Amino acid sequence: MNFFRSCMKVIRIVAQVLLLYIFYYAGVLIVDITHLPLPASIIGMVLLFICLHFKWIKVDYIKEGANFLIAFMTLFFIPPIIGIIDYPQLISVSGTLLLASVIISTLFVLLTTGIISQWIEKKELEMKEKKEKGEAEHAGKCIHH
Amino acid sequence: MQASVSIISTVIIFLLMRKLYTRYPSPLLMPILTSSIIIISGLLLLNIPFDTYMKGGRYLQHLLGPAVVALAYPLYNQWDKVVKYKYTILSGIVIAMVSGLLSVYSLLVVFKIDKEYILTALPKSITTPVAMHVSETIGGIPPLTAVLVLIAGFTGALLGSVVFTLGKIESPISRGIAMGSASHGVGTAKLVDYGELDLSIGSLSMGLSAVAGAIFCPLFVYLLM
Repeated sequence: MNFFRSCMKVIRIVAQVLLLYIFYYAGVLIVDITHLPLPASIIGMVLLFICLHFKWIKVDYIKEGANFLIAFMTLFFIPPIIGIIDYPQLISVSGTLLLASVIISTLFVLLTTGIISQWIEKKELEMKEKKEKGEAEHAGKCIHH
Repeated sequence: MQASVSIISTVIIFLLMRKLYTRYPSPLLMPILTSSIIIISGLLLLNIPFDTYMKGGRYLQHLLGPAVVALAYPLYNQWDKVVKYKYTILSGIVIAMVSGLLSVYSLLVVFKIDKEYILTALPKSITTPVAMHVSETIGGIPPLTAVLVLIAGFTGALLGSVVFTLGKIESPISRGIAMGSASHGVGTAKLVDYGELDLSIGSLSMGLSAVAGAIFCPLFVYLLM
């Protein structure tokens, strides 16, 4: 019984991954036709999101497959990373400086973006609260009059 | 035959390294890093060319397509949060794009790096396929851009938690924006450790940055270089 259940789970995951592949290929098709300068996978993500948001597709149809792929996402990045071995020139003085610049710049972006967006986030929240409070007060006044 | 060997060995190494990481969760033992080092050393020691490895590797890489599509699921779950913080997210993306371009450009100019390599490095913070496309448009070397994109991703995945602690960046929204727009997919995949809100804002920021990068990078080159 337990074995049967795990088999069904595997079959469900495979079927759901295939469904996600259909969205990916829809993205490929759109990029081919429109020549949009965007990756097919991101177009596919937008398409799937639209389908979920407008309830054209049940979340249950993709949930397990999506969780599976997300859990293993880093595995799929390994092959392109191995491509680094075709660039031995990165181990030279200017290669090292190039790498260092990319690393420092990335750290800088993480820090500044994180700090500034945290600040904006607080302001956005305060503004919303003020607005809601204002509306509530306004409503209160209307009742008084 | 060669294809199945490289698929199976990559998966086994990854699963073992993931087990090691759950036992000793240190950023230096991240599965993506340890597995890559083991595979690269293996290929170099056994004198196997990258193309041979990729006979199988490309099937694994191909799954990245549906995996990015799958990110629509956490995004769907957290959509009301996205709408609530839309201004924060949009301004965060622009800040990340501008600070990324300016910082990497000034560093490379200070280090006296050739113009061709500067153009190669500019799209580093956007997801690989778009980055390679942009690199080609502005006159860089696309495959080398792909490598630098991965370095940017690694930096976020490895050191992101340190930066967040140092900068006291504790909000899931801001962590997601910073990671998604500085370190694209590799960094975003790491956000799984923080939670679904981080992950969904991260994937949204990654997607928006790709759009912003496709516009800002060529514009930056046109204006400044």
